[in-house]
Amino acid sequence: MNSTNPYSSDFMPHIWPIGGGKGGTGKSFLTSNMGILLARQGFKTLLIDADLGAPNLHTIVGLPNPAISLSDFLNKRVPTLQETVLEMPIHNLFLISGAKNKLDIANLAHEQKMKVLRAVSRLDYDYILLDLGTGTSFNTIDFFTIWDSGIFVCNPEPTSIENIYRLIRSVYARKIRQVLKIDRFRSLAEKAEAQNPDATIHHPEYLLDMLKTIDPEQGAKIERILKSFQFKLVLNQVRRQDNPKIGALVCKIVEKHLGMRIQFIGNVSFDERVHEAVCRKESFVDQYSYSQATLDLKVIIKAITGVTEEQAVAS
Amino acid sequence: MKKLEDLNFYELLELAFDASPFEVHQAYKEMTQLYHDDSLASYSFFSREEREKILAKLDEAYSTLMDEKRRSRYDQLLIERGILEKSTQYQGERMKLGLMYDAKRPSTNTALRIRERLKPIVSSNPVIQEVLASDVLSGRDLKKIRDELGISLEEISELVKVRVVYLHAIEDDQFEKTPSRIFLKGFLRAYAQCIGLDADMVASRYLKRIHD
Repeated sequence: MNSTNPYSSDFMPHIWPIGGGKGGTGKSFLTSNMGILLARQGFKTLLIDADLGAPNLHTIVGLPNPAISLSDFLNKRVPTLQETVLEMPIHNLFLISGAKNKLDIANLAHEQKMKVLRAVSRLDYDYILLDLGTGTSFNTIDFFTIWDSGIFVCNPEPTSIENIYRLIRSVYARKIRQVLKIDRFRSLAEKAEAQNPDATIHHPEYLLDMLKTIDPEQGAKIERILKSFQFKLVLNQVRRQDNPKIGALVCKIVEKHLGMRIQFIGNVSFDERVHEAVCRKESFVDQYSYSQATLDLKVIIKAITGVTEEQAVAS
Repeated sequence: MKKLEDLNFYELLELAFDASPFEVHQAYKEMTQLYHDDSLASYSFFSREEREKILAKLDEAYSTLMDEKRRSRYDQLLIERGILEKSTQYQGERMKLGLMYDAKRPSTNTALRIRERLKPIVSSNPVIQEVLASDVLSGRDLKKIRDELGISLEEISELVKVRVVYLHAIEDDQFEKTPSRIFLKGFLRAYAQCIGLDADMVASRYLKRIHD
């Protein structure tokens, strides 16, 4: 973790926000099935449905009517976030549902959001996976920038690639804004936009270029932070005819042109039985444990934990 | 992080200073795949102008590093700037474009085989000989020769690694569409050599019109 991050601590669990720029990329599918695999390998794992506007992780993990959810903590009906945690039938697997969230909860006030982020950092789990909402709202972006870590999910198709670049650039711009604080950021954005109207929204790299000219020390600091990110990329729903190198190439583009390090951790093969498993509210990795998609997910889990399934179970 | 315009050709192609022509070719191929117009991996990341700029710089890097004399001059420049040490400079065999295909395809040698197959057709085909009798060559003349030989611009592009759009520009006499006159000459030479013509002769007769 980055030492400049106030939420970093040696005792923190491994927190992985999982997001994609576009709906339907398979974020909830990946979150739930990665959680199940981690739990089966003996890691105490918590899934949090942080898709505040359209929560459905509870349905995917087979819990249609959760009794308590994230909004109970936000509305102070329970004093701690831990009290909203639901135990799942799978040993070591837990869930904070978003099922009973109010409809307007997607627009969380800043203080409420910070309350959730602080509370998540204090939870005692080996792994915490947060299923984030679609798009580039501050509520989604801040989950990535607060821990400087996260997993981006996209599909090998132009619309999805376009949206993932948009999300990555939003995270990039948000980090610059966090470091500079609001007034300096606004002043920088105005100067950059005077030269290039797209600077803040579509090409935040111009912001950094300009900052490096105006304030080299601050520019170098932000460059270091961007390089220290622990971001990962998963390409989901990869079909046989797709180029398997796309994910690695996307990471290469981002590193070369934004200076942001993203590690490609694997392709997950398209499997039409995923739809079937979701409809039946069953765990895909348990039902189809020898499918290519499950094997792909195990490769991704290894990239996250650093150990093989056998090593994890043995320890 | 260095900006694109600040990268030297080796950095741009992610190559060591002593990279062989084969490695230069492979790196160029990978990079053009990453940045070309139809690349899914870079879809939407760049504007059309940015993409063109990157591709033009890649073409410049490639044509420099694949040409023995130009590479040597470029390396000398890097040595003078303290970027490259003489001991790490590539000391390999001749790197003329014609030889590069031997280097990159040692087993199939496709480009050489095609050139050797086309040469007798060039010398015996009356239409081609009539075109070549003129001391000035236009894009239309080159297309006429190519049509007689039955080879497509896409095939030439694949063999010589020059983008089809530039080959079209040569045949359409749209010189402004090529990055520069130096590139145009390089592309012309590669095109001519690929279809079994004398590269120097074609380049000089074609470029004569621009001089005039």
